[in-house]
Amino acid sequence: MAAGLCYADLAGMLREAASLLQANRDLLSQLDSATGDGDHGTTMSLVAAAILESLEAVTPTAQALLESAGWSVLSVDGGSASPLVGSFLLGMAEGCPPSSELSGGDLAAALESGLAKFRAQTPAQVGDKTMLDALAPAVEAARVAASQGLPPDRALARAAEAARHGAESTTSLQAKYGRARNLGPRSIGSADPGAVSISLLFRGFHAALAANRTPPLQER
Amino acid sequence: MAMKKFINDPANLTVELMEGMALAFGGRIRLDSGKLVFRAQPKPRDKVALVTLGGAGHEPALSGFVGRGMLDASVVGEIFAAPAAPKVFQALKAVEREAGTLLVVLNHSGDVMSSNIALEMARKQGLHVRSILTHEDIAPGAGAPASERRGLVGCVPLYKVAGAAAEEGFDIDRVCAVAERFNRNMATLAVALRTATHPSTGQAIFELAEDEMEIGMGQHGEAGTGSMKLLTADETARAMLDRLLEAVQAKAGDKLLVVLNGAGATTLMELFIVYRAVHRILTERGIEPVSPLIGEYLTVQEMAGFQMCVARMDDELVRLWQAPCDTPYLKVC
Repeated sequence: MAAGLCYADLAGMLREAASLLQANRDLLSQLDSATGDGDHGTTMSLVAAAILESLEAVTPTAQALLESAGWSVLSVDGGSASPLVGSFLLGMAEGCPPSSELSGGDLAAALESGLAKFRAQTPAQVGDKTMLDALAPAVEAARVAASQGLPPDRALARAAEAARHGAESTTSLQAKYGRARNLGPRSIGSADPGAVSISLLFRGFHAALAANRTPPLQER
Repeated sequence: MAMKKFINDPANLTVELMEGMALAFGGRIRLDSGKLVFRAQPKPRDKVALVTLGGAGHEPALSGFVGRGMLDASVVGEIFAAPAAPKVFQALKAVEREAGTLLVVLNHSGDVMSSNIALEMARKQGLHVRSILTHEDIAPGAGAPASERRGLVGCVPLYKVAGAAAEEGFDIDRVCAVAERFNRNMATLAVALRTATHPSTGQAIFELAEDEMEIGMGQHGEAGTGSMKLLTADETARAMLDRLLEAVQAKAGDKLLVVLNGAGATTLMELFIVYRAVHRILTERGIEPVSPLIGEYLTVQEMAGFQMCVARMDDELVRLWQAPCDTPYLKVC
């Protein structure tokens, strides 16, 4: 089962991730109400709609698909979420080889390039209670999985798991960025909505592949 | 408690307010694609252009300062949220010129991200664009890293001096030098008395007890240096001005610009009472006040409080500050 990712897989991943973000709109806004101004679910719904809209246009390659999704997300007026998620997708496009099928290593390279572009936008570090707390471990898990020769779906399963853990870990962290920073120690006790969004994104990526393939891949 | 504001659909606030503003000042400004504001009569292409960006909900800032002697374009985001990078790029592209463009960015994370992405796009396309980041808030301490200091109302006088320089035909290096000199020599502190309602969500943007005030509050309710018991106008003026004068190292013989910017629900009566104290303290110390700006320029809905901005001025800055301008919300004849 060392199948690579084809164009349709990638489109399916983006579609599933967007649907999952939209389905969790209220949860994300609720989380944001605890520490921010309560609009993160709305913003991520717009980001998701932008991703879905970009999928309607036919693009020639996986790289073009990611680039189109990235630009579409960047065009959302939404404070910090849209430049961060948009940069991540654009970075993925830049790190994506032009081949028609992506290996686990290709996927990991794309994710790492996405992470680098994301980090160029923000001084936040892991532990600052931001999206990065889910994104950094997810990309690292995919990298390690690929270096062990695992195919993309297995790598994404591990990435999704790492993102989930990362998002959960933000509950005990104190915010250093965004409006949550005002709360100081009072920001502890609630997960960072941005990190949860990233976790949903990776869960969607993995779920799309798990649904597409037989037998369904599950981490034991 | 339900939100008490004259609005229609909370989802359409920015669109409706920008349409209203453009209709009100049709001869002066022109609205493009809903969120880009340009001068109705563009500045000649041989002069440097000035562009800025920022969230809505702070009216008249920032678009109220588009016009002769100040901005060429402003890019508007959603309420309290930065505009998307492609729109910022679109504005830079629209005013593109060999003379060059200066993008003025207020230090707020969303604005900085959108600007950086837009600047990268602009440079890839060979546009002649420079940028400056305002971060004159001294609430975290005048020596705190620039990244932790927000851009507050000081952007308005900066648009004025840099805009006047551009209008006079300064080249891009000299316009940037004026803007950077002003930026280095200004400092702002905000004080809040009562919170504001986020007009999209209806939620209060921060909480403050009835008998308290907070010095250092940001324009979205970002925390300052902690709440304290309410002081009188004279005491508040002195507490803020002492820190500001120290930050800009003002000394006897210096000329100082003072901006008192009402946050939305603080009356001109209060601002004049505060200015009286400020003027007296400056005179005591032998510092010469330059024609001040007192009123509502960058608001935060119905927040009560004000921002006090000071800038140490040299003769050229004073001349540029007093040069003619004609924008919807700032005119000098």
